[in-house]
Amino acid sequence: MSKQDTTGSKKNTGWRLFWQSVIARSYPRIIGQQRDMSWMLFEVIMPLGSVIAYVLVYRALKAPEVYVGFVVIGGAMTAFWMNVLWSMSTQLYWEKEQGNLALYIMAPNSMMSILLGMAMGGMVATILRAVVIVLLGSLMFGVQYVVVSPFEMFAIFAISMVALYGMGMMFASAFLLFGREAWAISDMIQEPVNLISGLYFPIKSLPFWIAAAASVIPLTLGLDAMRQLAFPSGFKLGFLSTRVEMLILAGLSVIFLVGAKLLLDYTEKLAIREGRVTEARR
Amino acid sequence: MDNSTSAVSRSEAWRSFKYAAWLGWQITSNWTDPFLFAIYSIIRPISRAAILVVMYGVITQGNFTNPLFPYIYLGNAFYTYVFTVMNGVSWAVIDDREHYKTLKYMYIAPIRIPYYLLGRGVAGFLTASLSVVITILAGILFLHVSFDPLQANWLLFFVSLFIGVIMLSMMGLVLAAVSLLVVRHASFMAEGVSGVLFLFSGAIYPLEVLPKWLQPVGFAIPITYWLELMRRSLIGNVAQAFPTLARFSNMELLGILVGLSFLFGVISIFVFRHCDRLARERGLIDRTTNY
Amino acid sequence: MPPYAIETETLGRIYKIRGIKKERAIRRELVALADVNLKIEQGELFGLLGPNGAGKTTLIKILTTLLAPTSGMARVAGFDVTGSPHLIRPCINMVSGGESSGYGLLTVRENLWMFSQFYGVPSKEAYNRIDELLKRVGIFDRRHTKSSDLSTGLRQKMNIVRGFMTDPQVLFLDEPTLGLDVGASREVRGLIREWLDENKSRTLLLTTHYMVEADELCDRVAIINEGRVLACDTPSVLKQHLQRDVLFEIDTTPLNGLSLAKLETQPGVRKVTCQEVDGGATLNFILKEEAALAVVINTLTAASVNIMKLSKHEPTLEDVFVELVGRSMTDMERSRINE
Repeated sequence: MSKQDTTGSKKNTGWRLFWQSVIARSYPRIIGQQRDMSWMLFEVIMPLGSVIAYVLVYRALKAPEVYVGFVVIGGAMTAFWMNVLWSMSTQLYWEKEQGNLALYIMAPNSMMSILLGMAMGGMVATILRAVVIVLLGSLMFGVQYVVVSPFEMFAIFAISMVALYGMGMMFASAFLLFGREAWAISDMIQEPVNLISGLYFPIKSLPFWIAAAASVIPLTLGLDAMRQLAFPSGFKLGFLSTRVEMLILAGLSVIFLVGAKLLLDYTEKLAIREGRVTEARR
Repeated sequence: MDNSTSAVSRSEAWRSFKYAAWLGWQITSNWTDPFLFAIYSIIRPISRAAILVVMYGVITQGNFTNPLFPYIYLGNAFYTYVFTVMNGVSWAVIDDREHYKTLKYMYIAPIRIPYYLLGRGVAGFLTASLSVVITILAGILFLHVSFDPLQANWLLFFVSLFIGVIMLSMMGLVLAAVSLLVVRHASFMAEGVSGVLFLFSGAIYPLEVLPKWLQPVGFAIPITYWLELMRRSLIGNVAQAFPTLARFSNMELLGILVGLSFLFGVISIFVFRHCDRLARERGLIDRTTNY
Repeated sequence: MPPYAIETETLGRIYKIRGIKKERAIRRELVALADVNLKIEQGELFGLLGPNGAGKTTLIKILTTLLAPTSGMARVAGFDVTGSPHLIRPCINMVSGGESSGYGLLTVRENLWMFSQFYGVPSKEAYNRIDELLKRVGIFDRRHTKSSDLSTGLRQKMNIVRGFMTDPQVLFLDEPTLGLDVGASREVRGLIREWLDENKSRTLLLTTHYMVEADELCDRVAIINEGRVLACDTPSVLKQHLQRDVLFEIDTTPLNGLSLAKLETQPGVRKVTCQEVDGGATLNFILKEEAALAVVINTLTAASVNIMKLSKHEPTLEDVFVELVGRSMTDMERSRINE
């Protein structure tokens, strides 16, 4: 929808403004990645090292080959988790330091469009990282995939992403209030989430209640379901059935997206009340 | 250089290092209250170690008496130093340049920048030490990692640790030099590099697991020897259960470590000087590259 | 159409200050704004004048919905800043002096286009406006330069364009000429006046501590100090209150211990301020009548202070400030630094 304001200018509003902002905020990321290609080395090639290391641990332990495939898929999904945590949620803290956060809040668009734009802009690097890990990891270690239902696989992946990015937006709202502790808290939760999401092992290995609690993190069930669909013996090591996991992920998507909107609005009001929008609490 | 000039130079170097260490600690330690800092210091290393423990437990059905387990566990624990020390030195460039915007002021002050950066890595060393101690204690108390403090070779431990930290700091200096020239996703550089070194250093599996054509890489990096020495100093006989470096005595390993560390040290000095000069030529010292 | 573009009623803002770790038990409150009542009409160029720390930026932050007031009410474009910020934001924009916002890797044009999109300005129109404004501030030739390669002054010009390009109903400029040279400041002041004259529905609130800027540009000026509005009227009316007084500026040799208090107690002297300069002092007198000058000269002579130069001048807003506060803005800022 467009509206004409009292100065006579036509401006977009509503969903048009939302998508306009998403595209605009993704632009610096996309252009930045083209203007300095060093990210390919640091964010795509090098992370492969950790993935290979965990594969070799399984090889040293003489684990069944399906575990190698688990590590490869887990390593690929790490890319999205890192994008959510570092390139979206924590990013608001750096925007505040630079003085951009005040401009974003003052603008008539929504903070969710800004966050989504950041995430979309980083998608090129993220997807490339995930694809490189899957392709190279599979080639190097001879991982054999048997995907019975590619449609279901894609659906699981898509719904996991929606839920994961919704969760990231909820984190971002918390970071509106934090100062330097934003970075440290992201650093603190990274490893525990890596652990309880089962990035490198089947989540079924953990006690039931830990696995159930971990299911709140979309990465956990998304990974578990994709592994079940990608490998013939995957379902033996699955936590819940893929249908149940997809339903839970759908529910989490709704909860996180609605929660993100409410929390972003609430924390924005709180930050404005307490004067934290423009403070640089370095 | 006469005596007075070299005395001033040494004093400058020490002053740069000392105050940078103080600053690094201030930045690292006071972002929250002590309780949350303690939680942070415990959760991170325990979670990292737990990933490997679960992987190991799943495959071996919980057979923690196999000597491979302490090999993996301790290697992973000490590897914390690799990322944290390297990151502590190199991250200072990103932090000062992009966030605090003070790098330019450090450059124009009468301090020695390499020593300044090394000083900033001290806080990383201290937090890594805390993480390592917590991880090892957890292993001893809950995971039956066999460790007898009376049997440990403490002299070897501290000497190896000292040499290793210097070696890692010099590697961090190389990353810091590169950070001067690239944009802020160099913040992931230390993680990426330590991930690659994780692969080749025999931290969590013996080098024999690598393809034969890649094993020479592992033998060329000082971290491999350093980790072996750290394991041997604490759990001697178990560490020697693996053939990779069994043919080397402790002194021989120390000698190789010192030699390779010296070589990497020389490389780091040249790389830093070169990158520093390029950064000044291109006017990169005070730019911000966040997007 | 709302009656006022900006309206505040007993507006106040108090900050709670926490001390460093050792003094955590001590909590002080800082009154940044107190009892501010303003009514700014549509089409007005309103100035907010005061020293550093007076509360100007705090007021702007409240009016631009970045900070909530702790008491009172504020309305912009007819909407309440606390209750309806989402209705205010499409109508406003803000530029601060000394800004470092934007992304260094993007060019000037790209940075500006990006921000225009957050306001829903269609791309084609955004580019047209950006190009036009860049020409007006004189950096059109740098439109394809990465903003990290710009000097501070040029970057500030880019930020000024960012404020104007969304064509806001109400524009807030917080010390916009900070960091700009004399020529550039003049260009910006010209742009401000032209922009307002083009469309009478536009309103502009400008904060500054440059008297000349406020005097030259503003339809009305509010003088603010320590969070309170001390006076609010057109510059000429404000200065007229001092017209009944006589203003003299006297350059002297060093004062040799002669105190300002002694000078102020002389008959006919209303106020005196002193600025020490190399090898002497500059005294500014507000006298009740011209005859009091003789008394002043005698007092100076008796203290062996030689007069190097003497001039009578028309009251400026600085004089108005001195009259209201008792000290010059420079004195206030200096004493704040020394605290």
